[in-house]
Amino acid sequence: MWKYVLKRIGLAFLTTFIILSLTFILVKLLPFEKKAGDDKVQTAYYDKQYSLGYVIRTTHEVDDHGDLLYRTPEDKGRYFCYYQVPVMEQYGKWLSNVVTKWDWGYSKTYQPNVAASTIIMSRIGYSIRLNIISVIFSVPIGILLGIWAALKKNTMTDHTISTMVMVFISIPSFVLISFVLRIFCYSLDWLPSTWPADTAPFWARAKGYIIPVFCLSFGSICGYCRFTRAELCEVMESDYLLLARTKGLTRRQAIVRHALKNAMVPIFPSILAEFIGILGGSMILESLYGIPGIGKLFVLSLNYKDYDILFVDMAIFTTISLLAGVVLDLSYGFIDPRIRMGAKK
Amino acid sequence: MADRQIEFRSDDFQLVQNDKIITDVKLDTKPTTFFKDAFRRFCKNKSSVVGAIILAILVFMAIVVPFLIPHDIENVHSDEAFLAPKVFESGTGFWDGTRAYKQVPYNRQEEVPALSDKYTPAAIRKSLISLTVDEEPTLQDAANSYAFGGTVMFQTDAKVEGKDAYLISKTVDFNSKDGYAIEILFGNEDGVQESHLAEYRVFLRGATDASPLAADEPEPEEPEEPAEGEEANPLFDEEEEQQPDQIETIELSSDQIVMIRDFSTDYSPISFDISKALADAGLTSMKAQIVFEIRAVNDELRYILIDKVTLTAGSKAKNKDMLAAVSFEDGNEMVLVSNKADSAYWACSGRKGVHNASIYYCDFVLDTYMLIYGDTDLQSYAASVLNKWIENGWCSYDYTVGPESFVKLKDDCPIEHVESQTLNSRTKKLLEITGSGFKYKKLGYSSMPLHILGTDATGKDLFKRAFASLRTSLILGICTSAFCFAFGLIWGSISGYFGGNVDLFMERFCEILSGVPWIVIMTLCILHLGNNFFTFFLALCMTGWMGTAARTRTQFYRFKGREYVLASRTLGSSDMRLIFKHILPNSMGTIITSSVLMIPRVIFSEATLAYLNLGLQGQQSFGVMMSTNQPRLDKYPYLVIFPAIIIALMMISFNLFGNGLRDAFNPSLKGSE
Repeated sequence: MWKYVLKRIGLAFLTTFIILSLTFILVKLLPFEKKAGDDKVQTAYYDKQYSLGYVIRTTHEVDDHGDLLYRTPEDKGRYFCYYQVPVMEQYGKWLSNVVTKWDWGYSKTYQPNVAASTIIMSRIGYSIRLNIISVIFSVPIGILLGIWAALKKNTMTDHTISTMVMVFISIPSFVLISFVLRIFCYSLDWLPSTWPADTAPFWARAKGYIIPVFCLSFGSICGYCRFTRAELCEVMESDYLLLARTKGLTRRQAIVRHALKNAMVPIFPSILAEFIGILGGSMILESLYGIPGIGKLFVLSLNYKDYDILFVDMAIFTTISLLAGVVLDLSYGFIDPRIRMGAKK
Repeated sequence: MADRQIEFRSDDFQLVQNDKIITDVKLDTKPTTFFKDAFRRFCKNKSSVVGAIILAILVFMAIVVPFLIPHDIENVHSDEAFLAPKVFESGTGFWDGTRAYKQVPYNRQEEVPALSDKYTPAAIRKSLISLTVDEEPTLQDAANSYAFGGTVMFQTDAKVEGKDAYLISKTVDFNSKDGYAIEILFGNEDGVQESHLAEYRVFLRGATDASPLAADEPEPEEPEEPAEGEEANPLFDEEEEQQPDQIETIELSSDQIVMIRDFSTDYSPISFDISKALADAGLTSMKAQIVFEIRAVNDELRYILIDKVTLTAGSKAKNKDMLAAVSFEDGNEMVLVSNKADSAYWACSGRKGVHNASIYYCDFVLDTYMLIYGDTDLQSYAASVLNKWIENGWCSYDYTVGPESFVKLKDDCPIEHVESQTLNSRTKKLLEITGSGFKYKKLGYSSMPLHILGTDATGKDLFKRAFASLRTSLILGICTSAFCFAFGLIWGSISGYFGGNVDLFMERFCEILSGVPWIVIMTLCILHLGNNFFTFFLALCMTGWMGTAARTRTQFYRFKGREYVLASRTLGSSDMRLIFKHILPNSMGTIITSSVLMIPRVIFSEATLAYLNLGLQGQQSFGVMMSTNQPRLDKYPYLVIFPAIIIALMMISFNLFGNGLRDAFNPSLKGSE
């Protein structure tokens, strides 16, 4: 077992490493966006890049390093020129920077010369808070709806719930957000149409959470509901449940003690995986509702062509999705001892 | 034991099939193929059939609509922006191209609602539903240009701490003979905080450009005053540009001011005889400004409410106009006028606002089609133009009879009726006519255009745009899905069939590629290759085929050990034959289902990217259309809601259809009813 866990985690690390390396190289291969701004900020930026090893600094213009990135204004006849280092060399530097100093680079245009990790840390809180609240809402509601539908299988209740779930799972999130904004913000004017500022009073900020939480949890409510219903329906038809009834257990006892427990086996890992997912933000929701989370940061860094930030943001999303996959797989084994993960035949 | 032995002889037996020819018996049931059976089971699933029908309609419309609707969606038509959706005749009240406005300020002068959009007053006046009068809240600095009444609220500037504020009128000539008088009425304090009422004074300040009449006065005492006065001329452009310091530094000598009311908090009306005061001071005439001064208290906000200032004079006074201009009654008007630099009669070093002004609000329904395509104003057309129309047979006209003789013969005729005609005074021949027609003719339409879902900010027809975009999305989806289907099939077959190290390697490759979130791959592709159709296709293919491959691989693992495969192998079939003839057809159903369900995913991905500003360029794109319209959700909700409904309908019917297909193809359900 432990061998398998270690192997899985090791493999996940390897995959993350390969993906991040590829992404880094691809991002660095993008045409270099020359930085605009005043000389002081520019010089500071390129000096930082120089100390990180991504550019070289010369005291005169040279030809063998590609395009000139920036030339400092002359000071007593002295100036510096900055040139880009070959991408693979940058990659090596990046590896050593991340491993030894945990330095992920600096913002170029969005918040000039602020460390990427600082920007991410200042924003990730919003995303996490929002996602935690939505998970707290969506998991119980979704599972309860699913149980309800499964217990009333093939009745009106079941059909209604299943149809609603099917309809709402098909609606893209941006469509849902548009409708919700239209109805609750513009027509009825009950809720704010954008994310309230941090300085707003507590009540206003609490109201600002309603729409994003609703939109975020809607999809997962439908997902959990469908998943739970399918699992529970399958369990309800199994032989051991029939045995449980024949040996004298009431329906309620049979469902609570046998059916639910077994139905939860595949559901629980997905909840765990979802909790990992709270680290990532929803890009569309955050940019449409103006939430300053890391999903919005992705869009912002794209607009600003601030590729270093973009890369770090991508790295987070990638790591989260891989981590969630590993947790999902591993938790199966912990929850249900019958499932021997990675066992040979 | 021997007695119990039974002996069989050969004639005890009879051949059952002696002399009979054994042939295949015809089956009682109808033969069916896998696909026929799947289709039969699909048809039994009601909701899936409904989904398939809706889907078919949408696909059909996506193909047909862009050809049927004549509107141009490539170019910008800013004239035709924001037409409301219209299907029925206007006036039916539902989907008729009208837009209801509520609580719009009403312009009393022109008797129309105060809209920033262009409109024909006549069309709007007709559609007015109700008019309500409402009290505006206290406004600072900028008064509402459609409000009226109210009192002037003159206050210290909170931004400038502890500085007295002045409200200064233009210079007025007063003299002691003509019975000049001033009446000032202060506003009552209802609705304002009494504690903020200021201590104030009112006085006349002698202006420095002394009149010739004032020659006998000992008037300009300080020589530096004139220059000061001219600079402090109360014709300030903007309050920001004022220099309150200059006003403040004026040292007022008793000769230059005539006190009307010294510092006090007494708000009772003032009635003051200026001429008498001048005579008492021994002056025959005085050029003076009326000055209100508020004493500032630390940085607190202090104000006074001035309801009315009336300057009167006897009948002989010459400058009645000036007196009337300086007097004010309507607080809103006073603030409005004084904010205009060129006609300011009052300048202010603090801030002024309007308190308790009234404003009319109106509700009305606007026919957007009449607004944009409706009647034009009267326009002149030369006789030569008219002759051309007559030649073309569009209309007939006889200038000897006059405008009544105009008859429109064809719809091509640009005018609807003739208002008047002008004849050459000598030859008595027609020079020109004035008439009015419909604007849509000017815009190049032969009849009133109809936009079923209205138009967006660029004047493009939303209905055509939506379906043209749907077509792009569908083409993208089908292309991607077809490629992924083919590639995934081959990849999955090889991986699943051969297994072992080949499988291991191919699986690791997939694992790494599928570990990258699709958004990262899409973003990188678009950044490197630009956001055109091909990039989208490529990027979506890169992420899409792995699902099909994984599914195919599983199916191969399931079937490759079966007896029929073994039998075929023993007969010497090649790998290719085993893969394509024996294993693949059995797993086809599942794979097809997954490919169909891939199409909505592709549409969704494309739309999502548009919301991240990475939308498809150069083609009509659903996501780009919706994301550019998103900020207008507030004012023109139909721009977002209708495309949203179409795409939601599309997704729902695709899922219904796909689910039905999955159930129909599921081999474990085969035969079960």
